[in-house]
Amino acid sequence: MRNNRPTGAGNTNTVTTPTAHPQNLAATLRRLLYFALAAVALVAVFASCDTPLTTFEPRSDATQRVHTIYIFVIVAASIVGFLVLAAMAYILWKYRERPGHTAQQTHGNTTLEITWTVIPILILVAIAIPTIVWIAGTTAEPDEDALHIEAVGHQWWFEFRYSGLGPDGEDLVTANELRVPVGRQVAITLEAKDVIHSFWVPQLVGKTDMVPGRTNILEKFTPTEIGTFYGQCAEFCGSAHALMRFRVHVDSHADFDRWVENMNADPVPPEAGSVEARGATVFTNFCARCHTIYGVSTEEIGPNLTLFGDRATLGAGILDSTDENLKAWVSNIRDIKPVLDTTNAMPTFYVGDPLVDQLTEAQVDQVVAYLKSLKLR
Amino acid sequence: MAANIGILKRPVSTEGVWGWITTVDHKRIGILYGVSAFIFFLIGGIEALLMRVQLAQPDSTFVDAGTFNALFTMHGTTMVFMVVMPAGAAFFNFLVPLMIGARDVAFPRLNALSYWLFIFGAILMNFSFFKAAFPDVGWFGYAPLTTSEYTLSSSTDYWVLGLQIMGIGTTAAGFNFVITILNMRAPGMTLMRMPLFPWMTLIVSFLIIFAFPPLTIALTLLLFDRFFGTNFFDTAGAGADPLLWQHLFWIFGHPEVYILILPAMGIVSDVLPTFSRKPLFGYTTVVFAGAVIAFLGFGVWAHHMFTTGLGAWATAAFAGATMAIGVPTGVKVFNWLATMWGGSLQFKTPMLFALGFISMFMLGGLSGVMHAAVPVDTQQQDTYFIVAHFHYVLFGGSIFGLTAGIYYWFPKMTGRMLSERIGKLHFWVMFIGFNMTFMPMHILGVLGMPRRVYTYSVEQNWAGLNLFVSVGAFIIALSILLLIINIVRSARKGEAAGMNPWAAATLEWAIPSPPPHYNFAVIPTVRSQHPLWDEEANAVEPPPLPAHGEPHMPDPSYWPIVVAFGVTMVAGGLLIWQATTWVGLFVIAVSGFIGIRGIYGWVFEPVAEESAERVHAHH
Repeated sequence: MRNNRPTGAGNTNTVTTPTAHPQNLAATLRRLLYFALAAVALVAVFASCDTPLTTFEPRSDATQRVHTIYIFVIVAASIVGFLVLAAMAYILWKYRERPGHTAQQTHGNTTLEITWTVIPILILVAIAIPTIVWIAGTTAEPDEDALHIEAVGHQWWFEFRYSGLGPDGEDLVTANELRVPVGRQVAITLEAKDVIHSFWVPQLVGKTDMVPGRTNILEKFTPTEIGTFYGQCAEFCGSAHALMRFRVHVDSHADFDRWVENMNADPVPPEAGSVEARGATVFTNFCARCHTIYGVSTEEIGPNLTLFGDRATLGAGILDSTDENLKAWVSNIRDIKPVLDTTNAMPTFYVGDPLVDQLTEAQVDQVVAYLKSLKLR
Repeated sequence: MAANIGILKRPVSTEGVWGWITTVDHKRIGILYGVSAFIFFLIGGIEALLMRVQLAQPDSTFVDAGTFNALFTMHGTTMVFMVVMPAGAAFFNFLVPLMIGARDVAFPRLNALSYWLFIFGAILMNFSFFKAAFPDVGWFGYAPLTTSEYTLSSSTDYWVLGLQIMGIGTTAAGFNFVITILNMRAPGMTLMRMPLFPWMTLIVSFLIIFAFPPLTIALTLLLFDRFFGTNFFDTAGAGADPLLWQHLFWIFGHPEVYILILPAMGIVSDVLPTFSRKPLFGYTTVVFAGAVIAFLGFGVWAHHMFTTGLGAWATAAFAGATMAIGVPTGVKVFNWLATMWGGSLQFKTPMLFALGFISMFMLGGLSGVMHAAVPVDTQQQDTYFIVAHFHYVLFGGSIFGLTAGIYYWFPKMTGRMLSERIGKLHFWVMFIGFNMTFMPMHILGVLGMPRRVYTYSVEQNWAGLNLFVSVGAFIIALSILLLIINIVRSARKGEAAGMNPWAAATLEWAIPSPPPHYNFAVIPTVRSQHPLWDEEANAVEPPPLPAHGEPHMPDPSYWPIVVAFGVTMVAGGLLIWQATTWVGLFVIAVSGFIGIRGIYGWVFEPVAEESAERVHAHH
């Protein structure tokens, strides 16, 4: 038996095709490098825009902790990736097929193989330690003065219930725009009314799912900066999942207290005979079947609309709260959001067809004026 | 010879369409799998392109929310179950018997049944498009969104039943290949002389056997919820737990990832030595790393559920297990690099795709380690970072690896070479398009773009990157067009391949291309890991047929497709039953009879139809 393992050059059985010349390979690699650099530059331009859901600008103690680990892991992974790709490029260059060069018939090397088993283990242990420490930290009890909130996911909006801050020590309920004071720990429990949703405010707190039939505990977080932050449902929850967004307003302590006080105060009835007063009647006759305004109505099928005039957005954070947008929303939600016609879905009120309209165009204008008048005093 | 009690006589001819329908030849079944997978690859790719058109700009109205949700559901389901798995099966079927020196798989008719169940299940699921709508609950089908309360159309029923039927076929194939590889290796081919591709096939087959039952159970429970009003996942009633679905699905779903990637690892492990002109570095280590990955793969499923509120202990344990799986994976990468070290590297097309596999798969592995760190995962989970990660693993990994396999073994399968020039162009276009598509998705994820959203608003400022990504997706499509052109060109005027065009070392290259019906005229005796490199006699030409003529191979059979049809139509009857009870029950009864009669006919089918001609030929 003779060893006839063919070398690259002496291989007669191979179909002849142009082999890669070293110059070609070098040129290809260089072109590839330019291409990669151009792509990175392009990406940097795009990434420099203001992106409200960015995970890289932490504005709470919780996201700051995550961010530190995130950066560590990215750096570690990038170094490993770069070294391996560089080694690969070197090997491809050094051992390319060329005349007078034959392959060395090695089969293995135990020392080497043990080395490259142990090195990944060490790197992974270095990543595992901060991970486990972080996980242990999430089990801590909330601070004594923490603000306790229950967040409930609905198809497709968020309900927020502040424990004990409402009328007669009950929950204070609002929707889609959460208000919290700066510098105070927030302890949120998560529930869902229908399917699984996920609560996520990238700049304030990482995501935790809202699972029907369970109560999950969101990581505690203390906002460090006043401002408005974007949230988004992060678990696929049906047709309008993409449009299930929300906002978190981090207020000063004084502003937050004032808001809580106003939420609890009975609203001042609109001046008799005004557009707002007629709108209030429309609200009572139609909207009140599903929506609560404290001091006016009590049903909790749809979002609580107390102090709606102060909200920045409507429709679970998808539209600016302008008169035109609100009018379109009240008239026909289906133009804006792909809702299913289940029992809990908001009806269509005005499409300009007297046979199906429940409200006239004028009534829509009136209820919009009323809702926009519900402001802080 | 057993009396012929079947209605359908055992067919003899292998000609024409009926030849393909009744075939039990592993090579033909492999080609059926491969062609089917490629057609579904085009369908799943078109689904992806439609999504990329929609997402190329903010607030787009190209498709509506329901359509988009159906597109990503079917893209995922199609690519996992109807593309990468059957593409793997195509290679298992065509190559494993050749590489281990066998004439066929252990159970040729069962092998045909696996294929027919796969294709009928896939057709049934896609048939929902004509009947109701495509399923739109995600390929992961999280309860309770999948229960009838939240999914009003019957599309989810098609999804459940289609997956179930494909699963039966896949499980049968798993047993078939375990038994084939353990029992039918050529004399002298010990397990530790077996090439890496059959090794990975063996491991994947064990994974299938253990991973599919949890999926079968989950689908059955969901089926009962949807059809018979039980209450496993529907939280409107008492006692249901939607997380039960997630556990069952991911106990299947994570090993499934390795079912998708290990075949590609096997291909690359056989391609690299051929084009490095030296043996695989650390053969034993690479084999055992594959086995360790598969074993650990069953202990990491809950890393898909870090954000579901598992509790600190479970989360920490699964994070540790997930990181641990990075070790054998890293070892494989290092061994591949060491295989090339000191070699004489030939950059033929299969080699280029194998190199693409190693580099891209490694990047996917590194981003995977990133979200094994749970705090990081709370920011990355369900964002485009995850989409980027698993496309680096499943496209950069599986698809690049499988494409390496196509270029490597196409000459063996067809007897004709593919064009190196078009092949290299295909590689570079695909490599660039792939990175343009999926690299920026990492950034989109960091910038907070969630997965599975049909639209986003201008103020999110994701538009530029998304447009860039969409352009990349069309470049990938262009590269697939190049593959098609290459195949068509080869069919028309491809050069003859000869027995061993790459001067490779393994047994499949010791027989003509394409291989004869019986594979090996004489079953070879194996004395090393590289029989064609170490033994000159095998490298030149196949031994002549023995004096008694062609080896006797199993005859074709009608029964596999009959049984598969019966089983599929029972599912079809269930779907009809929802609309019209009595018609549905009638269809179930008739199809059930066909299925059972088919099994009966199968069991008592004679080894060959008695005919004067055959008796003369063989006695």
